[in-house]
Amino acid sequence: MTDGADPAGAQLERKDEVARLREELEAANQKLVDSHKMASLGRLSAGVVHEIRTPIGSIFSNNEVILRSLEKLKGLLSEARAQSAPPPQQSLDVLDIVAGLAAVDKIACERISSVIRSLKTFARVNEGELARVDINELLTNALKLTGTVFRRRLSMETEFGELPPVECYPGLLNQVFLNLIVNAGQAIDDEGAILLRTAREGDNVHISVKDTGRGIPPEVRSKIFAAGFTTKPIGEGTGLGLSITREIVEDTHGGRIWFETEVGKGTTFHVLIPIEQRGRS
Amino acid sequence: MAENGQPQVMIVDDEDMVITSIRAFLQLETDYGVHGFTSPEQAAAHLRTTPVDVVVSDYLMPKMNGIQLLAKAREYQPEAARVLLTGHADKQSAIQAINDVGLYQYLEKPWDNSQLLLVIRSAIERTQLLRNLKQKVNELDAAHSNLKDVQSRLLRAFL
Repeated sequence: MTDGADPAGAQLERKDEVARLREELEAANQKLVDSHKMASLGRLSAGVVHEIRTPIGSIFSNNEVILRSLEKLKGLLSEARAQSAPPPQQSLDVLDIVAGLAAVDKIACERISSVIRSLKTFARVNEGELARVDINELLTNALKLTGTVFRRRLSMETEFGELPPVECYPGLLNQVFLNLIVNAGQAIDDEGAILLRTAREGDNVHISVKDTGRGIPPEVRSKIFAAGFTTKPIGEGTGLGLSITREIVEDTHGGRIWFETEVGKGTTFHVLIPIEQRGRS
Repeated sequence: MAENGQPQVMIVDDEDMVITSIRAFLQLETDYGVHGFTSPEQAAAHLRTTPVDVVVSDYLMPKMNGIQLLAKAREYQPEAARVLLTGHADKQSAIQAINDVGLYQYLEKPWDNSQLLLVIRSAIERTQLLRNLKQKVNELDAAHSNLKDVQSRLLRAFL
């Protein structure tokens, strides 16, 4: 039997072929999204490394000083004991130093684990499942991570409204927020501010990322959501950030993304995400 | 150096924990005076009025980075040794610092206490030698102009 002799069978095969190609396309698209996420994380790595090296430096140093202090303390106490004298004042001073350093170590460990926690949230690749999450928490995490790069020159503020849990793909929305905050930070040349706002609006949540940066020049405004378009120097942008961001917000979540901008004053990106994903595949 | 001869070390880092750690270490191991600042601007103001022997500064700080601060240190107290202690893994900043501010030493976080102490100790020695040298040169200058004065008076007396 030839293909031509069985048109129904050929049609079925073509359908299978189309389905297979669609799956491949979706897989390739997912890979692109994942690799872009990893690239954005990579660009944050210098800040993350700095953020972790400082507390590690303190812990190392404190550990050494604590060990030496304990040795000194032992010497002081043994000497006092041999002379049947009370512990000298100096031993109390050494104890104070040790207690102070132990307190610093706790802060340092908390700092490291908080950076690692926020990294872990972003590094998760497999986020294919819909989940109900707190959008304010996702934003707080994104702010913590980007703060490692920007907090020394930018003030990063939040005005969070009360939000219901939102049904979404958290890994993908994480990427949206990371992209928008990094863009905002890069748009500010020296010092400035980033303001994140959230509010419930009917069946949606409204998230906005406002910066006091350069603003978007009129001639590029119509192109910024297009794939492959960037105004950033090589190594700073892939030209995919906003295109992926738009896709995640509008195609994947059925939301909306738009911006207001004024050259020399700054830009605000607005994102609207439906609270429920009912009826969407 | 303070008037009593105690070496003075300035530590500048926007993270208080770094200052606390280094201060505790130096208190245990040395008799140096330690001046810690989390604000580079306040550190610069301090440098304007108070002599120190060595400035150890972080690189990434709000408002003023370590290289800008060390440039001020060089302007106000050229003899004081300048050390950059940074967690910023960027050799570019090291090269810039060495060229722009005549850096004495570049150290990376996490730091090694014994290496840090070695650097601070030799930096202090260098600063004190430079200050001594400057003082000797001044004394020589004064003696020289004194001699010239005597010579001209002698010449006037004989001619």
